[in-house]
Amino acid sequence: MALLHGLLWRLLLFLVHVNRALVSWLRVRLRSVQGRLWERAMAALLLPLALAGFPDQQKKLNHANPDANANPVTGSRAACRRARWLSDGRSLEKLPVHIGLLMAEEELSYTDTANLVVWCMAVGISYVSVYDQQGFFQKNNSRVLEEIVRQQQDLLGADGSKYSVEFLSNGSDKQQHQVLSLRSTVKLLCPDDGKQSIVQVAQQLCRSVENKERSSKDISVSMLDSLLRESKNVPDPELVVKFGPVDSTLGFLPWHIRLTEFISLPSHRGVSYEDLFGALQRYSSCQQRLGQ
Amino acid sequence: MSWIREGELNLLEKISANILKAGPMPKHVAFIMDGNRRFARKKHMERQEGHMQGFNKLAETLRWCKHLNIQEVTVYAFSIENFKRTKDEVDGLMELAKQKFEKLLEERENLEKHGVCIRVLGDLNMLPLDLQQLIAKAVVTTKSHNKCFLNVCFAYTSRYEITNAVREMAWGVEQGLIKSSDVSEALLSECLYSNNSPNPDLLIRTSGEVRLSDFLLWQTSHSCLVFQSVLWPEYSFWNLCEAILQFQLNHKSIQKARDLHREHQAFQQLEADRACAAEHLLQHGNGKPIDAQRRQEALLHQTACREERIQDFLQALKHKRDSFFNDLTSEAILA
Repeated sequence: MALLHGLLWRLLLFLVHVNRALVSWLRVRLRSVQGRLWERAMAALLLPLALAGFPDQQKKLNHANPDANANPVTGSRAACRRARWLSDGRSLEKLPVHIGLLMAEEELSYTDTANLVVWCMAVGISYVSVYDQQGFFQKNNSRVLEEIVRQQQDLLGADGSKYSVEFLSNGSDKQQHQVLSLRSTVKLLCPDDGKQSIVQVAQQLCRSVENKERSSKDISVSMLDSLLRESKNVPDPELVVKFGPVDSTLGFLPWHIRLTEFISLPSHRGVSYEDLFGALQRYSSCQQRLGQ
Repeated sequence: MSWIREGELNLLEKISANILKAGPMPKHVAFIMDGNRRFARKKHMERQEGHMQGFNKLAETLRWCKHLNIQEVTVYAFSIENFKRTKDEVDGLMELAKQKFEKLLEERENLEKHGVCIRVLGDLNMLPLDLQQLIAKAVVTTKSHNKCFLNVCFAYTSRYEITNAVREMAWGVEQGLIKSSDVSEALLSECLYSNNSPNPDLLIRTSGEVRLSDFLLWQTSHSCLVFQSVLWPEYSFWNLCEAILQFQLNHKSIQKARDLHREHQAFQQLEADRACAAEHLLQHGNGKPIDAQRRQEALLHQTACREERIQDFLQALKHKRDSFFNDLTSEAILA
């Protein structure tokens, strides 16, 4: 009997996997139809490409021409795209001030991550935090930054200089986080920024109790909150978009996700602007009651 | 309506349960039972009736969990934020809680038969005294039961819980039981209200909301999160099966992530011990040369001392918490 149950369980799991694969295949097909329509409306000169299937073509679009300035046609396309993204951002009823991009996948792609960051900046999100469980992006931060600058130029064209890049190192922290300033701030996070940072704050408070500077009774939620917040007044992320098949936060900033909305997308590899915007639209349509 | 529902699953449910049980099963499931008020509005009934139906659903869910071999369930009954609701509703909820805990005490024997241990997580001081006493009585009477565990989060938020844990550790430092350098991720976990439970494997939130609302933020960092759109009073056995199936699909990758985290945690503890040992050697080395052997000895010494301090501290903390409940129950007897 147990053997039969085991077999049936395996069959069930298999069916769910098939179902998932089918759904994601349909999604891609549907998107490709939509994509084609959009492309026709956008630029007649790319029409032949549109028949070649969407995912490939999306890549070509994103990689456009590295010499965007040299080519007036691509330059104006970038300007047009930029205007569209900005107006997309404004069309939403609410836009997160701080978005978290949670990469719950084994293989990480610099290009796709950089695309996501640039799109977030383009629609007008001020703080973008990128998290992965291995701390891979934080370890390779210069590579990520390079890629972001490149994608910025590709996607936003020459005028991307508006989103100019600056290196800032976080004085209070051992790890050097790289920050893109002016309009948007990008932060690369790893698990140590989560529980471990709470532990560090706890140690700091206990040390001050040890030195008789404070009594244990004085410790309050707001005290911890202000110590866990950056010196800059960064709000908690209102939205986390999770990429990949794992349904877990995988240690993403436990203190800060109290009221965060979680929206999942199947993968960050080959992700399109429409996918991200869809997630933002879903976020924009939900309301919070805050215990009421 | 009682806390414990008797009765077997029907044939179809039983077959499905057995099939699911062939795979990995969650041992601890947490619920955010959302949607009682929306359900009441939808059915044109009183709000209080919606909360009542929600409680009944909890009893039914506990029965399903028992048949699915899930030994531990944690539910979010009342958040500290909920005190912001209208006085009318808060009073109604307190009254409901009072009734239910009275009922629970009446069902003592049945609870003993099933071995149900009830724990209440949260800051009881925020509640009316008579409710505090009832809760304390329920907790103390079922303390020794060990077949299944129900954790009720009442006057709870996760940030408050974490802050309270930090406060307890600071208390330990004040009492001279631990040093500030002993504070670690593992110690903080031990100071949470949930210190007696393993972390939940699966967290289920109903009614289509996709956030944690300050519930078990620390404990669910490597749990499978399932958001379902059904309202809590309409929750069915099949919804639960669906959530478990999703847990099973995630099981391997989450297990891997947990292992990775555990390794990293052990590494961090070792680093911290090394740093303390090195400091100790510098201060008390009397200028003798520090070789590898002395360093190793100092590390072992530091680790042993730290473990001993932490054990003493945790015992003191447990004693403090137990006596809080015991005092409440004896007060109730005197009153």
